[in-house]
Amino acid sequence: MELLAQLAPKTFWNAPNGSSELWVKIIIAFFIGIGFFIGMMNVPTQMRRPIVFTVTFVSGLFYFLFWIYPAPINKAPEDAPRNTLEAFSFWISDSQAVVADLTNIIASFLIGLGIYSLLRVHLGKIKKQQRDWQFSVVLIVSMLAMILFGYVDFYMRLDPANSKMAGSGYVGWTFWQFGRDLLFNGLLQNMDAGMFSIVAFYILSAAYRAFRARSIEATILLVTALVVMLSLMGLVEFYWAQGVDSAHLSNNFKLDNVARWLRGNVQTPAIRGIDFGVGIGLLAMGVRLWLNLEKTGSAS
Amino acid sequence: MGQQYLDNGWISILITLTMVALVLFNILRAHGGKDLFIRRIAGLNAIDEAVGRATEMGRPVLMVPGLTDTTVNAKTMQAINIFAYVSRVAARFANPILVCCYNASTYTVAQEIIRDVYQQEGLGDRFDVDSVRFISDRQFAFAAGVAGLILREQAAATFFMGEFYAESLILAETANSVGAIQVASSTELTQTPFFIAACDYVLIGDEFYAASAFLTRQPVLVGSLIGQDWCKLLIACMIFCGVIFNSIQLSGGSHHTITEAWNEGKMDKLKPKPFGAGDTTVSRWLNPDPAKDTKIDRPKLPKDELPAKAPGGGN
Repeated sequence: MELLAQLAPKTFWNAPNGSSELWVKIIIAFFIGIGFFIGMMNVPTQMRRPIVFTVTFVSGLFYFLFWIYPAPINKAPEDAPRNTLEAFSFWISDSQAVVADLTNIIASFLIGLGIYSLLRVHLGKIKKQQRDWQFSVVLIVSMLAMILFGYVDFYMRLDPANSKMAGSGYVGWTFWQFGRDLLFNGLLQNMDAGMFSIVAFYILSAAYRAFRARSIEATILLVTALVVMLSLMGLVEFYWAQGVDSAHLSNNFKLDNVARWLRGNVQTPAIRGIDFGVGIGLLAMGVRLWLNLEKTGSAS
Repeated sequence: MGQQYLDNGWISILITLTMVALVLFNILRAHGGKDLFIRRIAGLNAIDEAVGRATEMGRPVLMVPGLTDTTVNAKTMQAINIFAYVSRVAARFANPILVCCYNASTYTVAQEIIRDVYQQEGLGDRFDVDSVRFISDRQFAFAAGVAGLILREQAAATFFMGEFYAESLILAETANSVGAIQVASSTELTQTPFFIAACDYVLIGDEFYAASAFLTRQPVLVGSLIGQDWCKLLIACMIFCGVIFNSIQLSGGSHHTITEAWNEGKMDKLKPKPFGAGDTTVSRWLNPDPAKDTKIDRPKLPKDELPAKAPGGGN
């Protein structure tokens, strides 16, 4: 029953642990969920867009109000609101965690669909013995092994009798812990790191193609990159600085000063400008989605 | 959401609401039949060319709507919007497509939208359910999966749009190695240079958000795009005014007083506190005050309405 413990401060969204109020709320939420599910399954196709619009608008409205409505200051768990305006602000701040949880719950349901897609593609490939079907076998076996070892390990660690497992070393470890460690830390993490390290070689090949002086723009890019790269090489920077009088105007032409100027006066303003554009684009897209002005996928 | 009863955070909200109003106003203008101009964007002109080339070669078009964590967001929706157009062109040419999704929510949404596109074109029977795939929600497993697909399927055209991180170059260089024509755009500015280095066409910054307006010419999207330009003008004006006001305020004697006092060795006699850019009126308008030690007397809830202590001593 501890799974259902309601330990947060009492709000509209929870109830004391084990109380009948908690059970009533759980049962009501369960039936509302089932009802909504059945309703959505049977709703006529032409009604789906208005429903999606309503849900999107209400969800967006919540976060809009959460952001724009004055937040309660220094609210203690035992505080009661002083007036209606503050009661509303209490309600919004209390319910934010619940709304965020709803999003997570829906997302976790969708993981099932993702796994369905994987199985559908790869089992089909194995069944038809398509090219490289062996890799699909490896993928499915790996996925099942990771789920099995991960879940058993998680479940065993929940038991207070196995609390030693949490410590350093391999104290109390069984076959399942060693298996999970091998799969996750021994294989998956290392393969992740292996993929990441490939980026270094790709940067080299991409830079080789990009930094050829084919045009004026490419030449400027090449020279700028060269200055910044050289400024990061201690030895080059040191010998360059030998020929520069620090008390003279030429001090400005020390490699690290030029590189700093490029980063601070060329790169940063450009990035800020692009950032503004991206932010405004995101805002406009958000407004269009919220108000159902966006007709995704519709024809021109 | 901060301590908005007290601080100056309201000005950020006011600016945001003004920008929303500008976007909505221009959408209304566009709906009213006003002819609004959008400049050409090279990367978007290349879409038809890329799909046409894939058709000639009889190889698929591969699309990746970015690596958005957990749920679908506006960036993913924009990427899927662009892919809906690409899929429409591909459907007309009966060209195979592959949409690789990083998370299950994106997979679900993308599959529905691409299916809709095929049905709108009257080509519902040509839609292959497996053309939209969930690959993995682990960054480098996803990169490895997509790179493998690009190599095995020998994609002729690739579109990488949305949020990309360290895997961007793995994807772009792999596609480059099979000779695919590439159109890319990342909302993460750190990845844009990688795409520029490795791809044929790159949409930079807000060109990504302009894409659907450019491609479909829907009044709502075109109006919204013009609204975004107005917002940029507003911000440019604010930056200009900020520079002027800050300069005037900072040159109001404080700097000179400090310099003179320093030169004359009388810093200890300096009365006004040193005046920095963070103390200017503009800065105080835009930056909310740090948390204030404010005590508000509120009535208390009855004790029986408070939660019980947790079994382990927590609460």
